[in-house]
Amino acid sequence: MSDVVLRADDLAKTFRLGFLRKRIEAVKQASFEVRRGEIFGYLGPNGSGKTTTLKMLMGLVFPSRGRAEVLGRPVPDRQAKRRLGYLPESPYFYDYLTPEEFLDLVGALFDVKRADRRARADRLIERVGLSSARGRPLRKFSKGMLQRIGIAQALMGEPELVVLDEPMTGLDPIGRKEIRDLMLDLKREGRTVLYSTHILPDVEMTCDRVAMIFAGRIRNVGPLSELLTARLLSTEVCLRPGAAGLPDLPQGARKIESPDGLVIDLPADADVDAFLRAVLAAGARVHSLTPRRESLEDLFVREATSQRQGAT
Amino acid sequence: MRRIQAIAWNTFREAVRNKILYSLLFFAVLIILSALAMGNLTLHEEIRMTRDIGLFGIDAFGVIIAIFVGVNLLYKELDLKTVYTILPKPLHRWEFVLGKWLGMLLTLAVQMGVMGLVLGLTLWWQGAQFDTPMVKAVWLLFVNVMLVTSIAVFFSAFSSPFLSGFFALGCFLVGRSVPDIRALAAKLGPLAKTVLETGCSLMPNMHLFYPSGAIVGAEELSVHRDFVGASYLLTSTAYGMAYSLIVLILAMLIFRKRDFV
Repeated sequence: MSDVVLRADDLAKTFRLGFLRKRIEAVKQASFEVRRGEIFGYLGPNGSGKTTTLKMLMGLVFPSRGRAEVLGRPVPDRQAKRRLGYLPESPYFYDYLTPEEFLDLVGALFDVKRADRRARADRLIERVGLSSARGRPLRKFSKGMLQRIGIAQALMGEPELVVLDEPMTGLDPIGRKEIRDLMLDLKREGRTVLYSTHILPDVEMTCDRVAMIFAGRIRNVGPLSELLTARLLSTEVCLRPGAAGLPDLPQGARKIESPDGLVIDLPADADVDAFLRAVLAAGARVHSLTPRRESLEDLFVREATSQRQGAT
Repeated sequence: MRRIQAIAWNTFREAVRNKILYSLLFFAVLIILSALAMGNLTLHEEIRMTRDIGLFGIDAFGVIIAIFVGVNLLYKELDLKTVYTILPKPLHRWEFVLGKWLGMLLTLAVQMGVMGLVLGLTLWWQGAQFDTPMVKAVWLLFVNVMLVTSIAVFFSAFSSPFLSGFFALGCFLVGRSVPDIRALAAKLGPLAKTVLETGCSLMPNMHLFYPSGAIVGAEELSVHRDFVGASYLLTSTAYGMAYSLIVLILAMLIFRKRDFV
């Protein structure tokens, strides 16, 4: 069994819009692999080409260049789709159906027998916490409930690979946590999860590897630990000054007032030991000391900025 | 087969839960029942009036519903983005189009069945029967509606509902007038005649499905007499099905190549 469940190889998509057939390059170059059993994050700002890439992988949009393979077969392939679950961005479902009816329809599309469909639908409705709403038409569902039934329909075919397009968008913190937990559960069950997002804290909590796309071009692919530099960016010291006040701050340090006292942000090259000795000698009380290394947000902003500068 | 059946059943269920269709059905039934009042204005022609107005109601509302629902059939899936959830499932795009079309036909069959039932009850109330000519006439109208649906679905595979409706209605009106256009062509010069004859050959001849009053051979066809024979019924049905199939295959080919942005 191959270790790679999804491969995008130099994918590109150009749309031609309007009467003058204006060229819009939604995706310029997307190459990445998703490995079996991992949670893979596909990150990028709004309009960067995430959804178009996923639509190419799902066979909804035909690539202008490149090729894609899902579960060892070229896209679109019905055999591969049998082992795949997909939740589109801001999903819309047949709102006149109840969750049971909708999941029954999806099950039938996977050629699941009627009795099995019912059992699976019951299990999934329970799993996504919609038992109390099973008889209610989807038009009466909140955004969070729709997202949950969306996840349930993505799991109806018992897929090996689950692809979720912006699953956290529009959810409150509890809803986001539930989706995160569900993705981790799927991973524990041995399934592979690929999801697109621009909500970075969720990525740090869930993803084994990520790909970042900016203006239609993939900039970074790999494990977060490799993408984020280990180098120190700054050291944050929280303290309450003593009666003697503060000693002179090292060059480049910033002083920020906080309810508990002061936050001193020391540059990476500052002598932290010497500074601590000086403030303690001046009678200050040090509450905390935090070395700040590059976060996913820093990397994301750095890449987005360099992409924008490159474009101008 | 299970996948096509699932899409067809869902399309039917959507139509059954759509209040607009009930309104159209209500008006169709109202027109059929209006034949009772209109009949009183005639001299001993009440039953003839009920048959004519009843068939007109089934025909007109069948076509209106076919165009109205047909042009929205695929467009609505794109507009409401439900297609993004359904097409990534293990389903061929042609299966999706075929399922939608079959669901639509089932809806129309039920609607026309209800209209036929109301017409039958009206005739029974007047002491007449919903006899074999009437059954044949309603069957031909159903084949016609199937053809209109296929044409509406074909246009909706690549254009907006407004344009699709406009084109489908145009095809229906021209298709119904094929004998008149041919008669006109016979009186024109060779170039105009060739153009009109070619046009008539390409357009669906929907006059075949509403032949009451037409002269075939030396005899006038009428639902009030023997109407058409089995061979006419068979050839017209085969023509309607073949034309529908060709148009539907074209719709599937267009749908197969579409990007769902």
